[in-house]
Amino acid sequence: MFDWLAYDFMQRALVASSILSISIAPVGVFLVLRRLSLAGEAMAHAIVPGIVIAFVAFGLSVISMITGGMIAGIVVALATSMLARRTLIREDGSLASLYLIALALGIFILSAAGSAVPLKSFLFGSALGIGDDTLVLIGVIATITLFSFAIMLRPLISATFDPVFFETQSRHLGLVQQWFMFLLVLNLLAAFKSLGTLMAVGLMILPATAARYWVSTITGYLLLTFIFALLSCWAGLILSFYLSNVPTGPAIVLVAGCIFFISLFCAPLGLLRGSIVRK
Amino acid sequence: MLSLHDIALGYSGETIADNVSLSLEAGQICAVIGHNGAGKSTLLRTIMGLQPPLAGRIAWTGAKPRTIGYLGRSTEIDCQFPVRIKDVVAMGAWNGLDFWTGIDSAKTRQIDDALARTGLAKIADRPLFECSSGQLQRCFFARAIVQDAPILLLDEPFSAIDQTTQAQLVEIIQQWRAEGRAILIVLHDLSAVMTLSDSCLLLGRHRARFGQTTQIITRQNLLSHDYITEAQASLLSLPESAGECDV
Repeated sequence: MFDWLAYDFMQRALVASSILSISIAPVGVFLVLRRLSLAGEAMAHAIVPGIVIAFVAFGLSVISMITGGMIAGIVVALATSMLARRTLIREDGSLASLYLIALALGIFILSAAGSAVPLKSFLFGSALGIGDDTLVLIGVIATITLFSFAIMLRPLISATFDPVFFETQSRHLGLVQQWFMFLLVLNLLAAFKSLGTLMAVGLMILPATAARYWVSTITGYLLLTFIFALLSCWAGLILSFYLSNVPTGPAIVLVAGCIFFISLFCAPLGLLRGSIVRK
Repeated sequence: MLSLHDIALGYSGETIADNVSLSLEAGQICAVIGHNGAGKSTLLRTIMGLQPPLAGRIAWTGAKPRTIGYLGRSTEIDCQFPVRIKDVVAMGAWNGLDFWTGIDSAKTRQIDDALARTGLAKIADRPLFECSSGQLQRCFFARAIVQDAPILLLDEPFSAIDQTTQAQLVEIIQQWRAEGRAILIVLHDLSAVMTLSDSCLLLGRHRARFGQTTQIITRQNLLSHDYITEAQASLLSLPESAGECDV
């Protein structure tokens, strides 16, 4: 039954996805709470052109593509946040405009430079082909993420729940928002090798939306989201091991999708609850 | 405690109100009234230092207090957020807390006391999204109690709540005044202004008038600042005019 554990690539995938779950869960929770779920998706596209430019310029190297993705993500995140605060257009509209421009630019550059084949693996990842460098990268990003959340959990809760009240207590509203967007980009990059940027968003959002149907406190929410993400990763990996034609990324996200639907129908705050009191 | 000298309120390039002056002492309640867009919320933001005044001077007696109690409108708040009533009340104690420090026993007592004073002790574990608007407002009052601030800014605290809750909240505001706190309160209900406040700031038509409440709430003042129409004025029993009392 545990024969899959004997394989080196499965062990690596298991460790990588477990660390990724710890790191990605709080990001997903606050993406959902801050109503930025679609922004996460947009950001995943926004980093692709940075990766592409790095690939065209420096070839297949994890460090250069991470750096490229990081720069593209940060530029889009900072510009989005700036536009949202300084102009009429809110975060969603600003982000949509900028990521579309960035994505078109990325594909334009890749096509102008030559083959489009590597882009496919950027989008869907290869969870069973994780090397040492990727494992270290995921570990470093998870450490940065957890340390950041330890420091800014209270400010982030306060700024999400009641931003005006938070502004009266602290001068750091902009910093909290921007650091959170930075963590989002970091985690998308952590997930991009193993899951691909498209599937990474699935592992970020689905456990968080599923867990929301069960909990009434933020602590419980963070914990349950992590458990759901971990379950999705393990079940997805095993599923793709036995069904050899099924790629790992989509298998993991489909398990997360099943957990979402089970929660939707069975959880106390799901459909069972009837009409939620809306204010 | 606080005085404003000929403040111009507004955002870059657009002045909402000119020559706004007021003075607020400890143990006093000042009501702020005015038509929509007259600059009431902008005034609160300016006092809190979230935006600079376009002109004029804000002076604090002594230093600006470290904590300014603030009670905003519940429309600014995500009421579906996964928190319980007591978690929200505890947020009043978060200011100045390091990330590794928990809430100490003195603060815990303050939180319990605030829950009791607002009548929320029995439902402290209730998730916020199950609360009525009256319970929500009491919850935010409890958070303001925990803030323990020398000055409190309240933005329309009685909107969308019933008379009983309003009476309980008025009692809390009067306790704050008795404790020597200064309170600036944005109100729409003239009878609440008359019964609750010591002084009043009337904003409207880019102008402002400040003085004792009885001297500000007059037919002539309210009409000239577009606060009421002629038809409404004829339905209210308001004094025709009173002596001005500007700072």
